[in-house]
Amino acid sequence: MIAFLKKYEGLWLFVHSPSAIVAAMVATLIILGAIFASWIALVNPYDLASFSLFDGLLPPVWQDGANPKYLLGTDDQGRDMISAILYGARLSLIIGLSALTIAAVIGVGLGLAAGYYGGRFDAVVMRIADVQLALPAILTALLIDGIARGILPAAIQQDLRVAVLTLAIALSLWVNFARTARATTFVQMNKEYVQAAIMMGQRPSRVMFVHILPNILGPLLVIMTVDLASAILLEATLSFLGIGLPADSPSLGTLIRIGMQFMLSGEWWILWIPTLFLIALVVSINILGDFLRDIFNPRLR
Amino acid sequence: MKILKLAFIGGAMGLTAFSASAETFRWASNTDPQTMDPHAVNSAPVLSFLNNIYEGLVRRNQGMSIEGSLAQSWEPLSDDNGWRFNLREGVTFQDGSLFNSEDVMFSYERASSEAADVRSWFAPVKEVRVVDDYTIDFVTNAPNPLFPDSIANFMILDKGWAEANGAELPARDAENFATMNVNGTGPFTVTSRDPGIKTVLTPNAGWWGAAEHNVSEAIFTPIGNAATGLAALLSGEIDFIQPIPLQDVTQVEGRNGFKVLEGEETRVIMFGFGHEHEELLYSSDVTGANPFQDVRVRQAAAHAIDIASIDRVLFRGKIDGASQLVPAGISGYSEANSTRPAYDPERAKALLTEAGYPNGFSFGLKCPNDRYINDEALCRAAASMFAAVGLNAELSTGPVRDYWPQLREDAFDMYLLGWSPGTFDMEHPIRFLLSTPNSEKKLGSWNFGGYSNQRVDTLLPSIQQEIDPEKRQAMVDEVVAITQAEAAYIPLYTQPLIWAAKDNIDLTQRADNFFMLRWVTVNLSEIRAKRRWFILL
Amino acid sequence: MVYFIVKRMIQSVFVMLAVAFLAFSLFRFVGDPITQMTGVETSVVDQERLREELGLNDPFVSQFIRFTGDMLQGDFGYSYRTRQPVADMITERVPATLELGVVALIISLLVGVPAGVYTALKPRGIWTQTILMTTLVGVSVPTFVIGIMLIFLFGVQLGWLPTFGRGGTVQIGNWESSLFTFSGWRALLLPAITLGVYQLTLTMRLVRAEMMEVMRSDYIRFAMARGVPMRKLHYKHAMVNTMVPVITIIGLQFGGVIAFSIVTESVFQWPGMGLLFLESIRFVDIPVMGVYLVVIAFFFVLVNLVVDLLYVAIDPRLRLRELE
Repeated sequence: MIAFLKKYEGLWLFVHSPSAIVAAMVATLIILGAIFASWIALVNPYDLASFSLFDGLLPPVWQDGANPKYLLGTDDQGRDMISAILYGARLSLIIGLSALTIAAVIGVGLGLAAGYYGGRFDAVVMRIADVQLALPAILTALLIDGIARGILPAAIQQDLRVAVLTLAIALSLWVNFARTARATTFVQMNKEYVQAAIMMGQRPSRVMFVHILPNILGPLLVIMTVDLASAILLEATLSFLGIGLPADSPSLGTLIRIGMQFMLSGEWWILWIPTLFLIALVVSINILGDFLRDIFNPRLR
Repeated sequence: MKILKLAFIGGAMGLTAFSASAETFRWASNTDPQTMDPHAVNSAPVLSFLNNIYEGLVRRNQGMSIEGSLAQSWEPLSDDNGWRFNLREGVTFQDGSLFNSEDVMFSYERASSEAADVRSWFAPVKEVRVVDDYTIDFVTNAPNPLFPDSIANFMILDKGWAEANGAELPARDAENFATMNVNGTGPFTVTSRDPGIKTVLTPNAGWWGAAEHNVSEAIFTPIGNAATGLAALLSGEIDFIQPIPLQDVTQVEGRNGFKVLEGEETRVIMFGFGHEHEELLYSSDVTGANPFQDVRVRQAAAHAIDIASIDRVLFRGKIDGASQLVPAGISGYSEANSTRPAYDPERAKALLTEAGYPNGFSFGLKCPNDRYINDEALCRAAASMFAAVGLNAELSTGPVRDYWPQLREDAFDMYLLGWSPGTFDMEHPIRFLLSTPNSEKKLGSWNFGGYSNQRVDTLLPSIQQEIDPEKRQAMVDEVVAITQAEAAYIPLYTQPLIWAAKDNIDLTQRADNFFMLRWVTVNLSEIRAKRRWFILL
Repeated sequence: MVYFIVKRMIQSVFVMLAVAFLAFSLFRFVGDPITQMTGVETSVVDQERLREELGLNDPFVSQFIRFTGDMLQGDFGYSYRTRQPVADMITERVPATLELGVVALIISLLVGVPAGVYTALKPRGIWTQTILMTTLVGVSVPTFVIGIMLIFLFGVQLGWLPTFGRGGTVQIGNWESSLFTFSGWRALLLPAITLGVYQLTLTMRLVRAEMMEVMRSDYIRFAMARGVPMRKLHYKHAMVNTMVPVITIIGLQFGGVIAFSIVTESVFQWPGMGLLFLESIRFVDIPVMGVYLVVIAFFFVLVNLVVDLLYVAIDPRLRLRELE
C-alpha cells in the first residue's frame, strides 16, 4: 500500500493541490489556444489584409462603442485582441521554449563537463561564460541582429528575425545553467556514488549524464521554469528597447510594448489584455515547474 | 484645411493671475542638445536650444517670418550678387565684449570651414567683405533672393573669446571650449551644463532686446522615455515638455491644470520609390522588373491610401493631408496643385490591371520605427491598405540609426521619409528630394530613389535665382505639377506638433518645433495665487 | 592561493580582450555614426570626409588595434556625439549605477533570503502561499511595466516620490552620491524596488529550494535524531549548505542587476551607465559603447573572482579540487 502510494506520490500530491490543478488547467488552455490559434481566432493578425483601420481602437464588449464581433476589443490597427493574444502566445511560447532548450543544452552540457573535468577545461568554459555575461542580453540581441542583417541576403532577413531573436535570448540565458550545473556538479563529484562509478571505469559521458545529471536536476529545474518566463519577458524588454520583433508579427511581449503607448490614454485594454494573459501564462508555468521539481527530486523516492 | 497657425495660448486662470514676478521654469524634451557649439552640428535640438543663447544676423519670429536680429536691416548689393547687412550697434556679448562686423566675419569663416556641419548654408557665398564696423557684405555666386532666409540659424560667436579659448574651429575629435561653454549675445546664458543630464540657463542682463518673459532660471532635463516624461509633467516636476505622444493628449487635456498645444509642424511625411531600381528586391512574385517604374503603378499605390482613416484612428484628427512636399503656408506652396490623390481603391486596382498586374504583386516596404510620430503604426496601416488593392507589402521596420544606411545602399522597394524644409521654402525639397542626385553640385542628396526629371533639373537654378516672386511661383508650380503627375513621391500628411504644459505657463509654439524661452511667462498657479492673496490680507 | 589569484587575473585579461574584440567587430552592424553626427543638409562629400577623419574607413584590424592600444595607455577616446572624453563620461555615471545596483541587491537579499527560509520551513502556511503567489506575479510582469506603473502610482497619483532623476547629490571626492540626501533616497526608492523585484524572487525561490533539499538530507535527520535543537539545525547546518549555489546566484544576480539596470535607468531617467549605454546605441556612439563594454567586462570578472574565492572559502571540498 505504502509502496503503491510512493510510486504515484507525484500524482497524489498533484490531485490534492488546488493551485497545481488550476495552474495546469490555465496553462493547458493557453497552450491549446496557442497551438490551435489559426482555427479558433477570428482574424490572422499576421495577414495584413484581414483587418482594417476602420475597426481600430474598439473597446471590449462590455463598454460603450464596442462591436460584438470583437469580444475583447481591437488595437490601434484594428486587430482583434483575442486573435492577437492567441497568436502572440504561440509566438512567445515558441521563442521561449526554443531559446530555453538551446540555452539548457549548451549550459548544462558545458557546466557538467566543466564540473567533471575541472582544470583547464573548466577555466576556459568559465572565461567564455564571463565573456557572455559581460555582454548584456540587450547587446547580444543587438549584435546578433546586426550580424544577421549584415550577412544574410536581404530577402530572407525578415523571415529569420524570430530565429535571430531566439538565438540572442538563448545566448543570454545559458550561463545561468552552466554556472549552477558546474557548482552542483563539483559538490556531487566528491560523493561516493560518483567516485564509485569512475573507479568502475565507466565512460565520462555515462557518469555525467546517467549518474550526476539526475542529482543536480533540482536547482536546474527551478532555473528552467523561471528562465522560460525570463525568455518571454526578455523578448518583451527587447521590443521595448526597440530591438525585438517587428510589430506586424507580434508576440505577447511586442503586444505589451505596443500597449504601453496606450496605458494612460483611455484604451486600457490594448495593454492590459496581453499583460494579464502573459501573467496567467507565466504564473501557471512557474507553479507547474515547482511541482515538477518536487516530483523529480530523487530524494523523495 | 488648417492653415499654418500660431499656437500662442494665454494662460487664463479664473482668479486674478499674479504674473510678472521672476520664476524658475523647468522643461524637458526627449533629446539633449549634444553640444553648445552652434556650428558643430546642424541638428534641430541643438539649434533650437542655442537660439536662446546665441543670435544670428536674422531670426524668425512667432509667425516664422524673418526679422532682424543682430542685423537691423539688409538690402541687396547694388554692384554684385548678394546682400549687405547693417549691424545693430551697442550689442554686447555675455562676457562684456562689443559686437561688431569682425565677429560676423570670424563666425562666417568658422561656420563655413570644413570642420563645421553648417557650411552648406554658405555654399552660395563667394566671399564676405567687411565694409566697416557695422556693415558687412555677403557676395553670392548668383542672384540669391532667399539668402537672408536661409541663414536664420547662423549664430555669431565672439572672435576674441573664441580665439582666447582655443575654439577657433568647431570641435571635430575632442571637445573644445565652445562645446561646453557659451558666450552669445542672446537673452539667456548657460550657468551649468551636464550633458545628457541637466542644463541650467539664466537671463542675460545685458541683452539688447526687450524681455517678454519672466523666467529667472530655466532648467532643462532630457527625458528619453515618453511615459516618464508625461509622468514628470503630471506630477508637477516639470512645467513643459515637447513632444508628448498623440494618444496621451486626451489624458493631459482631461486633467485640471494642464494644457496641450497642438499645431502643424513644417514636416511632410511621404512614401518614396526606387525609381532607379531595375528590379524589386523584396518581391516573391516579380523578378527582373520593377513595377514601380511604371507611373500607373505608383499612382495606384497613391490611390490605395486612405488618409482620412489614418487621421481619425492613428492621429486622432490632428493631421492635414499633404499634396506636395511642403505644407500649406510655406513659401512656394503651390496653390494651383493642392489636391492630393484621392482614396480610390477601385481606381487603384484598375490602374494596376492596366499596367499588367491585375493581381497586384508583393514588395518590400521599409520604415523607421522611432523617427516620426507613429511611423511604425502608419506603415502597418499603409501596408494593410496596400494589401487591400493587391499590393502585398512586406513591412520591415527598424531604428533610424540603421535606416539611413539601408536607404543609401538602396535596400528598399518603397520607403517612408519625413521632410522639413530648412529654409521654409519649396526650393529646399526640390533641391534635396527632386533633383537628380549629383554629389559634386550637392543636389539630390536625400533623393534615395533617384527620381530624375530633366525639366525639374533645369528649373531649379532659375528658381533659386529668380527675384520676381510671381515668376518664381510659376516655375515652382510647374515643378510641383510635373512631380505630382509623375508620382515622384506619395505625399501623405503634415506631421502634427504636440506640446504639453502646465496651465499657468504662457509660451509660443513655432512650426519648426523650436522652443524660445524669451516668450515664456510663468503665471502663478491658482493655488499659489490664492496663497499670495491671503498673505496680502 | 596567490597562484590561484594570479592565474585568474591573467585569464581575466583574456576575457576582456575577447569582449572588446567581439563587441568591436560587431559595431559595424549597429548603424552609421556619421548620419547621427551630421545634419540633414550636410553634403555627401563632407560626410565622407568626416568618415575618413574618424578612421572609419580603415580596415577593422587597424581600428581594433588602435582602440586597444589607446585603452592600454589610458586614452579612452572621445564620444562621437558630445566630443567629451569617454573616460570622464563613464566615471561620472558609475556612482549612480553602482548605488542603484547595490541598494537593489540589498533589498533583494534582505527580503529574499528570509522569505526563502520562511517558506521552506513552513511549506503549508498561509503566508507562504501568499508570498509565493505575489512573487510569482511580480516576476511575470516585464520590468519596464512595473517601473512605469510605480511611477504613475507613487509619482503622479499620490505624488509621494519623484518620477525621474536622482534627486540631490553630494560630491565626495570623485564620487557623486545621492545616498546622503533625503531627496536622493526618495528618488532611489522606486528604481531600486523595480530593479530588485526580479532578483528578490529568484533569490527567494532558490534559497527555498535549497533549504528544502537540505532539510531532507540524511545528516540533518541524523542531527535531529541526535537531539540537536531545531533552531541550531536550521541555522548552523542547513543554511551553511544552502549557501553554495546561493552564492553562485548572488554572483550572477549582480550581473543581472547591472544588465537589467539598463531598462530601469531608461524608465526612471536614472543618470547611470546603463542609460548612457542605451543612448550610445541610439546615437551609434561607438567609442562610448566600446569602453562601456570593457568596463562592464571588468566588473563581471571582478565579481566572479570574488564569488569563486568565497566558494572555496566556504566549502572545503572545493578547496581540494582547486588545488588539484
